[in-house]
Amino acid sequence: MSAALLSLTIPLATAMLLLLFRTRAGTVVIVANTASLVAAMLALDAVMTGAREQLSLGNWDAPLGIRFELGPLTAVLLVFTALIHLLVTIYAQASRHSKTRDTDFWPLSCLLHASLAALWLSRDLFNWYITLELLGLTAVAMIIISGPRSHLPALRYLLLSLAASLCYLLGVAFLYGRYGVLDIRMLAEVVVDDPGTRLAMLLLTLGLMLKAALWPLHQWLPAAHAAAPTAVSALLSALVVKGPLFILWMVWSTLAEPGFARQAGVLFAFAGIAALVSGGWAALRTPWLKVLVAYSTVAQLGYALLALGLLLYWQDPEMSIALWLFVLAHGLAKVSMFLGAGEMQATLGSRRVSALKGASQTMPLAMFAFAVAGGSLIGLPPSGGFIAKWVLLQPLLVEPSHWPWALGVLLGTLASAGYVFRVVTIAFNRADPSSPGHDPDTAAQWLAMLPALIVWAMALLSEPLILWFQEVGL
Amino acid sequence: MSHISLYLLGGVALWVLGLHALMTQRNALRRIMAVNVMGSGTFMVMVALAARMTPIDPVLQALVVTGLVVAASATAFALRLATTESPVADVDRERE
Amino acid sequence: MITTWTTLLPPAIVLSSLLPGLLIFSLREDQTRLRIGLNLFAVILKLGLVGLMLRGVGQGLEFRFALPFLPGGDLVLHGDATSLQFVSLSAVLWLATTVYAIGYLQDSPLQSRFFGYFSLCVSATVGLALAGNLVTFLLFYELLTLATFPLLVHRGTKKALKAGRIYLAHTLGGGALLLMGVALLHSLTGSPEFQAGGYVELLADAHQPSLMVAFALMIAGLGVKAALIPLHGWLPEAMVAPAPVSALLHAVAVVKAGAFGIIRVVYDVYGVDQVQALGLAMPLLAVAAATIIYGSLKALQQQELKKRLAYSTVSQVSYITLGVALVGPIAGVAALAHLVHQGLMKVTLFYCAGNFAETLGIHHIQEMNGVGRRMPLTMAAFTLGALGMIGIPPTAGFISKWYLGLGALEVGQDWILLILVVSGLLNAAYFLPLIYRGWFCGPPRQWPDERSLGSGLPGAGETHWMLLAPVLFTTVLALLAGLLAGSEVSPLAWSQLIINRQFGL
Repeated sequence: MSAALLSLTIPLATAMLLLLFRTRAGTVVIVANTASLVAAMLALDAVMTGAREQLSLGNWDAPLGIRFELGPLTAVLLVFTALIHLLVTIYAQASRHSKTRDTDFWPLSCLLHASLAALWLSRDLFNWYITLELLGLTAVAMIIISGPRSHLPALRYLLLSLAASLCYLLGVAFLYGRYGVLDIRMLAEVVVDDPGTRLAMLLLTLGLMLKAALWPLHQWLPAAHAAAPTAVSALLSALVVKGPLFILWMVWSTLAEPGFARQAGVLFAFAGIAALVSGGWAALRTPWLKVLVAYSTVAQLGYALLALGLLLYWQDPEMSIALWLFVLAHGLAKVSMFLGAGEMQATLGSRRVSALKGASQTMPLAMFAFAVAGGSLIGLPPSGGFIAKWVLLQPLLVEPSHWPWALGVLLGTLASAGYVFRVVTIAFNRADPSSPGHDPDTAAQWLAMLPALIVWAMALLSEPLILWFQEVGL
Repeated sequence: MSHISLYLLGGVALWVLGLHALMTQRNALRRIMAVNVMGSGTFMVMVALAARMTPIDPVLQALVVTGLVVAASATAFALRLATTESPVADVDRERE
Repeated sequence: MITTWTTLLPPAIVLSSLLPGLLIFSLREDQTRLRIGLNLFAVILKLGLVGLMLRGVGQGLEFRFALPFLPGGDLVLHGDATSLQFVSLSAVLWLATTVYAIGYLQDSPLQSRFFGYFSLCVSATVGLALAGNLVTFLLFYELLTLATFPLLVHRGTKKALKAGRIYLAHTLGGGALLLMGVALLHSLTGSPEFQAGGYVELLADAHQPSLMVAFALMIAGLGVKAALIPLHGWLPEAMVAPAPVSALLHAVAVVKAGAFGIIRVVYDVYGVDQVQALGLAMPLLAVAAATIIYGSLKALQQQELKKRLAYSTVSQVSYITLGVALVGPIAGVAALAHLVHQGLMKVTLFYCAGNFAETLGIHHIQEMNGVGRRMPLTMAAFTLGALGMIGIPPTAGFISKWYLGLGALEVGQDWILLILVVSGLLNAAYFLPLIYRGWFCGPPRQWPDERSLGSGLPGAGETHWMLLAPVLFTTVLALLAGLLAGSEVSPLAWSQLIINRQFGL
């Protein structure tokens, strides 16, 4: 547990120090991140050998105190967060085009990391509210690093995020008023299925879905994610939207009665398929590169939503594994995609998709990163995305009556193939290559590719992970 | 108990009013105010729920205080964002 | 797992082209010698390794390599007789095509990219051939799609990009269907290794509809690459690719991957008995027969040389499917032998078409008049290849068709003979005019676009030697496959061996 806490406190302390000493040194953050990653790995190792661990902060017990819990999923997510943050900060420090040097990016990204780590560890509805607010505020603050042009989408994001938090908070208030506890485990013991609880759950769900940009509450995401600097976009898509998703999954899988869960599950699953199709379609149509990548996030979250829906509908814990594998694979792939897209956009001097003509010659590495990451999003073997899709498909296919859901997965696959190869095909157009405005930055392009290579390597490493999850549960 | 129900209903009404305004208004300042109205509604519900017990539930009151801090700082941030000179329209000027 | 050379050989065969391919990507355009050196080194290394494996399998050694990948489905590379048939074909034709491609692409830009993907493409093909279970097969099948796409759009023209889009739409769609089929079967039994006679027998009672749906999905997914109608639309478009790519695409890499997959699914996953029992053989047979006739009819209408060859591929590859779908031992031998025979003959024809286009600028059929006088060696190779396609004795194509016919009679599907005869006549109708024009019509005063690639004289100098040598090499191989069909080293004899195991003869 102490290792997990260290993984949380190192970025927090780094953020404070950077603010205190008014320095914006990226190397400090990278070193701190490495330490945080090592701590997270130690925590994971401890969980793998031992059992779940509990910690009551300041020795105050629930209901008044704050309880942290370190389970298998939390440990994996801590490692995931630290790894993504590390990869992104190395890029942000090394790339000539990152536009984040000597800005508030460094303390803010550390704060983001810390609040996310706190979110993974928390098991308390109100504590989650606090971490959600921290996450939202730092995310908005990071978006406006790219200048006044981003203020409009940032303000929209902030207001929606606040409204979503208040929606969530009202739900929390109702639940507390009804049961008098906030801790999720204690709540699970006393919760009953009545209209008041259902209303509270509905409010929680609406708030969280808006924050996680789950269809149909996703409209704010493309503008906000596309407006941010490249490194920030990567963090937002890979990490920030996953926080509310975690809470949503936790709340529904522990609090909902089976009957209610089944009803809601169908809706979630249909929303997931709708997200896959409509997000994919929007990504196919948009003329802007980063908006395309952002819409792909909307679409990919559809897989997670589908998995969540079927988890509730069939009460099949296997689906949780699929859900979180999707999150891990998507996070890594999306970092690569945003970094690759950002590099190409900055070097070729245009934000349009059509400007990528000939990019396979002029910027082969960044384009390759984009394509490789795209392969994982489509779910081509042997990538992390493929493994996640496979785990999702297994229970879908075994019963003929479940087959219609598999059609949704098929649609999602085809839609993502459509938008990924839309970009790749343009890059192979040799008729009229746009010449790079200035030198491509080779090192930065390699850094953009690194997460994509990790997600493909994930395919070969995930069997033990899946078996472990199946054995001990999440 | 009826006056507590009144507060509860009032809180919920404020929350709905705020949400409605947030969705219909376009002006940034009004939308920020709308979010604040929503916040007030939520806090009122929480205070009313706390007041149902004797002695008054300290946990909920502590939560409201925390929530108020968050709401105040977020509002300040939103105001700062809303008052910066934002460009006329978000158009790409490179190619057209 | 004890690591010995027998476990490491299968991955070594895959890596022997993969690693050089990745190295080639990193080379600058002007490092021509290093690139050629790496290419040839990889080719020869792979041939050596394949030879080693052939000898080992002949001595009864087991070559198997496994990595954990999915629960119930490891990543398995396994060298058995069936895979060796395909691996040897790929390795040999890769040698010829590499030499050809070096000659063909001289002085053209982006060679590092081309040869990089070229090597990846062969690695994927070989991996697919060595795949020991369905999951592994699926993996390499998708990688093959990805590796071929850049080759197809290599020229980067509008037409090439359009062909690329069509190709992707077909193959990615097919890949998704295959994935669904494989995943469905996996959800029932996991993915055990391929085994003669299949492994689904125990499921047949409880899960009959699932098995049928899985079969349909897999065949549809594989049928895209094997160009079964109505999924063949990408193949004629794909002929805009550079000639070495077309040659590889049509002879080994892509269409054969589909056909090979069908062989695996029918023989080593379901087993002939189950395919028969589930009533799946007849629909497959009908589709294959329809494709044979349709492809030939369409080929007859084409006036562009490469397009005619492309439709001819549609037709010819379906002989393999036809042989498999007949589910008899003799037809099976024909199918497996044709996998090799068609590869050798079609690669020759595409090389020749490429030589005509590069040397003289000939793209259309009318322009072939008298080409035999200017390029007798190429035209002779073309003639032999075409005669083989028609099935005139003693060419390799004749052997395939003869055994197919015998196989059809053996299982009582006499109507297949009619298909064979009609298709043979159609083949003759679209190939004989080319041969006639080439040898017996007078040459034009000026060729469409003549380039001085060799000495310019008929014979050894009729074109660049690197373009000519592979043509002669594959022609000789195709001839030998036909002439020596009765001997022990021929593709036919090897097919016999595989089939004997399958049918327990």
